[in-house]
Amino acid sequence: MIALSVAAVLAIFIVYTAVAGAGTPQLQPSDLARYPRGDVMLVGKVVGPVTGDSHAAVGKHFVLRDVTGHTSTRVDVVYKGTVPDLFRVGREVVVEGTLRNGTFVAKPGTLSTKCPSKYAPAPAKNT
Amino acid sequence: MAALGRAALLLSFGLVVYALVAGSVAAWKRRRRLAASAQNALIAAFGTTVVAAAVLWTALARHDFSFVYVAQHTSRTLPLGYRLAAFWSGQEGSLLLWLLILTGYSALAVWLHRFTRDLMAWVVPVLAGVSTFFVFMLVFVSSPFMSAPAPADGAGMVPSLQNPYMLAHPPMLYLGYVGLTIPFAFAMGALLSRRTDERWIVMTRRWTLAAWTFLGVGQLLGAHWAYVEIGWGGYYAWDPVENAALMPWLAATAFLHSVMIQEKRGMLKVWNMVLVALAFCLSIFGTFLTRSGVISSIHSFSQSPLGAWFLGFIAICVVFSVGLIYLRLPLLRSRTKLESLVSREATFLYNNLLLVALCLTILWGVMYPLVTQAVRGETRSVSKPYYDFFLHTFGLPLLLLMGIGPLVAWRRASLRALGRTFIVPAVAAVVTGVALIVLGYGSSTPGLLAYTFGAFVAASIVLEFVRGTRARRSLSGGSWPGALAELVARNRRRYGGYIVHASILMLAIGVAGSSAYQTVRERGLRPGQSMEIAGYTLTYERLQQRQEANAIATRAVVDVSRGGSHVTTLYPGKNSYPVEQQVSNEVSIYHDPRNLGDLFTIADQIDPKSQTLFLKVLVKPLVNVLWAAGFVFVFGSLVTLWPDAVEQRRLAARYAADTVAA
Repeated sequence: MIALSVAAVLAIFIVYTAVAGAGTPQLQPSDLARYPRGDVMLVGKVVGPVTGDSHAAVGKHFVLRDVTGHTSTRVDVVYKGTVPDLFRVGREVVVEGTLRNGTFVAKPGTLSTKCPSKYAPAPAKNT
Repeated sequence: MAALGRAALLLSFGLVVYALVAGSVAAWKRRRRLAASAQNALIAAFGTTVVAAAVLWTALARHDFSFVYVAQHTSRTLPLGYRLAAFWSGQEGSLLLWLLILTGYSALAVWLHRFTRDLMAWVVPVLAGVSTFFVFMLVFVSSPFMSAPAPADGAGMVPSLQNPYMLAHPPMLYLGYVGLTIPFAFAMGALLSRRTDERWIVMTRRWTLAAWTFLGVGQLLGAHWAYVEIGWGGYYAWDPVENAALMPWLAATAFLHSVMIQEKRGMLKVWNMVLVALAFCLSIFGTFLTRSGVISSIHSFSQSPLGAWFLGFIAICVVFSVGLIYLRLPLLRSRTKLESLVSREATFLYNNLLLVALCLTILWGVMYPLVTQAVRGETRSVSKPYYDFFLHTFGLPLLLLMGIGPLVAWRRASLRALGRTFIVPAVAAVVTGVALIVLGYGSSTPGLLAYTFGAFVAASIVLEFVRGTRARRSLSGGSWPGALAELVARNRRRYGGYIVHASILMLAIGVAGSSAYQTVRERGLRPGQSMEIAGYTLTYERLQQRQEANAIATRAVVDVSRGGSHVTTLYPGKNSYPVEQQVSNEVSIYHDPRNLGDLFTIADQIDPKSQTLFLKVLVKPLVNVLWAAGFVFVFGSLVTLWPDAVEQRRLAARYAADTVAA
């Protein structure tokens, strides 16, 4: 009975993830061309230049490249909403949105900067 | 000094390997003296690990930057408290903390249960096996005692970690994670020694409860830390790292409930073994997640070589425990069967299924990017809607079961008796639901259901206390408070459990109130300008700046009024850390006693030149009930954990024959 019940419950979420919530693709800038439409989560490293104001009509503009840095692909991003404190050139960020006319238009408030917290030491400056 | 640390760890490695090998041989060949020697080696390993930990703490306190670890995680301006907390702010140090707690727990378990020789003979090698993995990692893969020419200053600590919660949250989580090793070791010891009766469960009940409590408190502390420090107005984001702590806690919760069925009815022996192994493996899986970098998270972790080692260790643990359970299946047959689907044990079973289902759906969500990458060749991830859906699907029935379970009789309950028992809680639930709809709070279905079910649970808990106190008073006389205290003291496990249930109910009330009914506004302001939210008027007055120990603090002075009357002044702002070259958000919160919620202000953007402020404000009703739940949770757990002389005498008599025979 336990096995059957667990199997039934597992079936619910497998069906859910397969049908209703098939997840959001996580892409790096070099993969973005494969998804010209639809929402994606863009993961990349900020290379700048960073201009504009995220709380103004123009929004904040910046450029992302692949985290691994193996390709030269760059993508322009425009974003409005809260900018995390740790956001800056060189940081790895995740942002959700859609590619429109070659620019990645981010959903407001979806920008998150990877937190260099535990287990990722900052490089020593005075060695 | 680093050499001393390395030598101490090397000694620890030798001792745990000896405990593993000698303990296994002793258990296999039934050699009592060799088994005692293995036990002593395990206790001694705690001593040598303490020496290693003391070396690292001393280096941190003395700014000894010749330790690479100290140079990478502290600086000269970092206050002493945070320097000491840097012990667990880095990969190597946190591994050492894990080992310190593991060997400490192991030594205590060996000493406390030293007279249960037949079982302990196999428990010791299991504990030593787990310890061996962690010492191996510290000695050969990720040592905190690497040394190099000392730089003038260190890199400092990440600003978001420079918070008082850094002193308590990680150690609490580790006490919980590591604590799950003890019930796992006893379960495997029981299987290896073929002593599959309830004794291992009775011996480890408090260990499991303590680990579960630490894990629960650790998560609440982490949630509160995120709430007050990160500056986004939330406390839980379904991030893989957060889920890593939640999953073993859910499995342990299921285990704590299902062991009662085994103790009372001799049922679910296989299930309990599976749950304890699942909780342990998930605790290691959580550590794997945070150190491997395989899963994308808002927490960034270095792509260290540790991931592969942890994956290998998890695989060994899974194969070992599943294989052993399979081999011992004939010994794990239940003495009795479920007599009715309407009984206490049946409701516990439903509770278990929902808890495990919730745990597995979270695991699926965490693993989803890896699965889609492996199957479809592209990484996809699920986010808040996925987790919220399953939290509502499984969490709301769980909440209701928390009220139903304690009121249903063991073995079989008649529908008539159920009707009588449930009338008061059911009326309370219906009245609450109708009242909420009338008052205009019906907009959120999950919120409405949570409060309706919550009223049911609250009424059932109060009813249990009232009935018990009345019965106790009629037996022994005295005052109502005296009878209540006596009732709890004489049934600590049962009524402590009800208090914990009350804390979970408070948690649900806080989460539902602060998420389903929160209000958010944001606006750019110049000095003198105001904004309105949920009856409050916030007026931005000016900016102010001050020098702190290791940061420059910029604060916006914001006057808060309601109905024309001054309520408070809030100071949201930002701290700038020159050494770390980082900025952190510093939120300012007003705790409103009227709705037990918060007025939460975030200085999203500050321009000191133009003095402009972009202010984000959240009104989160009932959020403080969530934090208060933590105190009730700890109190209830302590009541349940407190030694009970009557219970101990009963258990001593029950297992006296076994102990003598051993």
